[in-house]
Amino acid sequence: MKQIALYGKGGIGKSTTSANLSAALSLAGHSVLQIGCDPKRDSTRMLMAGRLIPTVMDLVRERGASAVTPQDVVFTGFHGVRCVEAGGPEPGVGCAGRGIIATFQLLEKFGTLTGDIIVYDVLGDVVCGGFAMPMREGYAQEVYLVTSGELMSLYAANNICKAIQRLAARPKSRCRIAGVICNAKNMPREEELVAEFARRVNSHLIQYIPRDRTVQLAELDRKTVIEYDPASEQAQRYRDLAARVMENSRLTIPTPLEIDDLESLARQYV
Amino acid sequence: MTSNPLPASTCRTAGCTLTGALSVVTQVTDTVTVVHGPGGCTHHNFSLLSATALDNGRPALPPLVSTDLRETDIVFGGEEALDRTLTRVMNGNPGAIFVLSTCIVETIGDDIEKICQAQQGCPVIIVPTAGFLGGSFQAGVNNALIALAAMAESSAPNGRVNLIGEKNLEYEVEENYAEVSRLLSLLGLSVNLRFVRNITTDEIARLGAARLNVLRDPALIPVGEYLNSRFGTPYITGFPIGLSGNSSFLAEVAKTCGINGTDAVTRERAREGELLEKFHDLAGEGVFFSPLPPDPEGRIAARDLARNVGLRFSDQGNPVPVPVIPPVGLAGTERLLHRWRRAIFA
Repeated sequence: MKQIALYGKGGIGKSTTSANLSAALSLAGHSVLQIGCDPKRDSTRMLMAGRLIPTVMDLVRERGASAVTPQDVVFTGFHGVRCVEAGGPEPGVGCAGRGIIATFQLLEKFGTLTGDIIVYDVLGDVVCGGFAMPMREGYAQEVYLVTSGELMSLYAANNICKAIQRLAARPKSRCRIAGVICNAKNMPREEELVAEFARRVNSHLIQYIPRDRTVQLAELDRKTVIEYDPASEQAQRYRDLAARVMENSRLTIPTPLEIDDLESLARQYV
Repeated sequence: MTSNPLPASTCRTAGCTLTGALSVVTQVTDTVTVVHGPGGCTHHNFSLLSATALDNGRPALPPLVSTDLRETDIVFGGEEALDRTLTRVMNGNPGAIFVLSTCIVETIGDDIEKICQAQQGCPVIIVPTAGFLGGSFQAGVNNALIALAAMAESSAPNGRVNLIGEKNLEYEVEENYAEVSRLLSLLGLSVNLRFVRNITTDEIARLGAARLNVLRDPALIPVGEYLNSRFGTPYITGFPIGLSGNSSFLAEVAKTCGINGTDAVTRERAREGELLEKFHDLAGEGVFFSPLPPDPEGRIAARDLARNVGLRFSDQGNPVPVPVIPPVGLAGTERLLHRWRRAIFA
């Protein structure tokens, strides 16, 4: 079983990429579980025909953990992709990081973490140990950074490299960086910049995904691109990504950049 | 950060911030304390406080209630649990409710002030006690004393003396109180308020009436300063420690209060001499301290005492105990000398 996690700056397109990746993997014949690890709970929406499924944390809050069953939290979406949303507190109260940990413990107890591949769709950045949970022992072992060529999203990706490097130093940890996905803003020389960034942090660009109107149209239709327009070029990009993720065995410990180096790198591609 | 794990470094008054504050607020007998956090934070303190009360011959269950936070409260915020608990406690019509925060609720950012302000019925007083923010047992004591002092209004001076911050968790708290009361009486002074030991919320009103505050030890200086700024009350920084502590205590109190204490000091010096005479049989015996107390003040007082009774320091001598908290006054010194005598001639 492969366990992968997608991390990256908020709004960079992790959920869109995750959902399309899961859909493509499923169509390729794999058993897929996608877990949205964000209180916003919008990770699996396009796989569920626009439906916001009940979250693990909401059910735990309403009934208590002992009254929640796997059937309550695992929903079957497009082409059999199993979908889970961790959920969390209202913004501004409590601890969403602890919510992620609690969710994982419950899913593990249920024996839910099965399949050919688990896709962990994690929120914007690794702000505390709770949000690093998918990277921890036994969970996601392959981390994909989703970034564009914009400096702010490279900052976030670089920060996540720091988290992976730190966690990889633990004796039992199998957490590694598996690649960089360029979810492009269609800036000039963007693919080159992200590929160079990937190389500099001791990884590789695994897929370039251009900005495409089809994504917006599919979302308005509450579908993944794979489902909405399977013949489109964009759908093919996601299928390519799915194939490369399944084949990918290049797992490394990242070498994050200093901020000055990151900025001078970005400057070279302006 | 404290990093000395030796048993010699441990005592009842070196727990977490919460324990320090609880050792104060639970002494206000007509109140209830709500500990906002997981049940365990309350449980182990409850055990300690009830065991201490039993040891001191006054068995009593401390009026403690936990908001008993569980994982869901941590994830979604514990404010509802606090609100619910306060409402329940309020139904018992306590004189006041103290709300003590724990490390976890400060981590998740519960708005404790908002919840407490919304409660009607009796004063609800917040005492910050999240130890991970850098607090220690002593910080808990000081925070609790200052929070309680905020309940007092200015009142007409009555010429008496407050005792501030007695160590409610020590075995000898009543004996020490008796010794200090005796010394004050030699100067014609009496105790106005034991702040805080076995009092009610009404009694706190006379906190500002005293002419002098006697702090239990110098760690309470921030409390002394606070009371000085609130009520203009001068303070002295500690109970009498060691052999010559009584006479110097008397001299300091007399000076601060503008009293002629010459006779009292002379008489107390004579008592110091009499005490040494009672233990003249110890002279020449070899001893070493075991364990060595971590508190420098305690070490100095013990060394001075040993020299004054003529004990010799020797690795081959008898191990004699030294309390973590230095003995108070001649009564405490005499207790210690009895222990040493037992250890030497056992």
